[in-house]
Amino acid sequence: MTGQHSPLLRVQDLTVTVGDGATSVVEGLSFDVGPGETLGIVGESGSGKSMTALAIMGLLPRGAAASGSVTFRGAELLGRKESQLRKLRGAEIAMVFQDPLNSLNPYYTVGAQLVEAYRAHRSATRRQAREVAVAALDRVGIRDPRRRADHYPDQFSGGMRQRIMIAMALCLEPSVLLCDEPTTALDVTVQAQILDLLRQLQRENSMAMVFITHDLAVVSQLAERVLVMRGGEEVEQGTTERVFTESRHPYTCQLLDSLPRLEPVDDRQEGLG
Amino acid sequence: MVGYLVRRLAACVIVLAVVCVFTFMIFFWFSPDPAAQICGKTCTPDRIAQIRANLGLDQPFLEQLRVFVSGLFAGRDWGTGADAMHCAAPCLGYSFQTNESVTDLLIDRLPVSVTLATGAAVLWLLVGVLGGLVSAVRRDSLWDKGVLAFGLVGISLPIYFLALVLQYLLVVKLGWLPFPRAVPFTEDPVLWFESYLMPWVVLAIVYAAMYSRIVRSQVIDTLEQGFVRTARAKGLQRHLVLRRHALRPSLTPVVTLFGMDFAALLGGALITETVFGLDGVGKLASDSMATNDQPVIMGVTLLAALLVVVANLVVDISYRFLDPRVRRGTP
Repeated sequence: MTGQHSPLLRVQDLTVTVGDGATSVVEGLSFDVGPGETLGIVGESGSGKSMTALAIMGLLPRGAAASGSVTFRGAELLGRKESQLRKLRGAEIAMVFQDPLNSLNPYYTVGAQLVEAYRAHRSATRRQAREVAVAALDRVGIRDPRRRADHYPDQFSGGMRQRIMIAMALCLEPSVLLCDEPTTALDVTVQAQILDLLRQLQRENSMAMVFITHDLAVVSQLAERVLVMRGGEEVEQGTTERVFTESRHPYTCQLLDSLPRLEPVDDRQEGLG
Repeated sequence: MVGYLVRRLAACVIVLAVVCVFTFMIFFWFSPDPAAQICGKTCTPDRIAQIRANLGLDQPFLEQLRVFVSGLFAGRDWGTGADAMHCAAPCLGYSFQTNESVTDLLIDRLPVSVTLATGAAVLWLLVGVLGGLVSAVRRDSLWDKGVLAFGLVGISLPIYFLALVLQYLLVVKLGWLPFPRAVPFTEDPVLWFESYLMPWVVLAIVYAAMYSRIVRSQVIDTLEQGFVRTARAKGLQRHLVLRRHALRPSLTPVVTLFGMDFAALLGGALITETVFGLDGVGKLASDSMATNDQPVIMGVTLLAALLVVVANLVVDISYRFLDPRVRRGTP
């Protein structure tokens, strides 16, 4: 698959350590993502998925450190100056977080937060930036965006807030979007809507997407390639089709078996009989 | 907003009324007889009875309270004939010790306390907020450790100790500053500044110590919030992340605290004023307590209550501007 595109984002031998460097939460992870491609990273909680995304953004929490290599368009990101990383964040590599309730600042209107994101990278007047913000809100399906832009985050539902987060991530048309469990906090119907939205927006922008989730069903719908993680390390990596149908790795099989199915009803009846 | 204000003002009036009645009760039942004090050592029961009648202390509790409260709103009259004097509203009575009008005493002393509290507040807000912010952002740095140490020392040092040590060093030993005196600004601005500088610093150190610790922990908490991470993830400049996303949410609780502290100080910085001999409301309070000068104590108490109640109201109203959730009435 990667042969088709030159990789936009390449992660090689990424290791993230916490504390005094003794404990590694991500170890020796490597993957590529090309333009228009979606890579799903799956694994149970604590497997180092989120840390991987934060390491790419250069936003690791205090006391965590990354080593190895993360290149974007061929340029190394690890160890780059904060001021240089800042210019990439949002503009080239954007991120959508898991918790939409806490990801927006309750003190500012959503419009102001979008305007702020846009103006951090483009020289635009407040008025111009607001037009961009309203258009972005419209694009992610917020009804009456001009009026809604003046509302505060707590006046939106969780699903709406995640749409706003996506609008914010996409208003600068980044080339890479990192999604860290963007639908986990949402109910199933809303989840499907958000996934549709992401898919559609990705097609329009031919953006590279890294989609982190513990939900295999979501990955199967969205990603061309899958990376399975456990305990900070790669378990296996390949096309979604191959991993889902022919995986021989026992951990991946366990994960696949954990998906709820409709068949086992018969077994239960037998047990009762 | 209007309905809210009316409700809040009504609540303020109730609180003040309760404070008034309680203070009055304490003096009526629990304090030594002021008539005996005024009368002195060579006193006859007749004389005491006469004084009591003059002061209206022979009346039942409710009658005394009624006279006091009506004095607040309508003023009251003392004595009859040639000795009669009128005390205009808001009348708080006359000092048992000096026979001065309590209202005049308070009006006279208030500017000193206001000057002291305002100057100190400016200093401690600057030092406390900036110190706490930098400390939180550069956690575990030398600066942070310095601020933490300052916080610990500042909170632990009693004001009277700090005041006396500084006064000894700066005034007596080095002669850099004059002895603090309540010089009006209009009289001599330079001397005014020099006089108040030390009291400001002493008072500010104690509060700045506390505020720097509170701001530090608030900012550290806020920096862990998802929205700060979002702000960084969208590539916002560092100073904007700190100012808009970390500092603003961190400072709203500080506003509450500041309102209370500042109001309490307006009603007199008891120790600071006494140590430096500044004739503010605090010193008036301590002097009147030492001599059981009931009308003055009553006046100071009511003034302090009024200031705290008003500060509470101002804080609550300012919250409606600071926090959009409060403004719209959502939790």
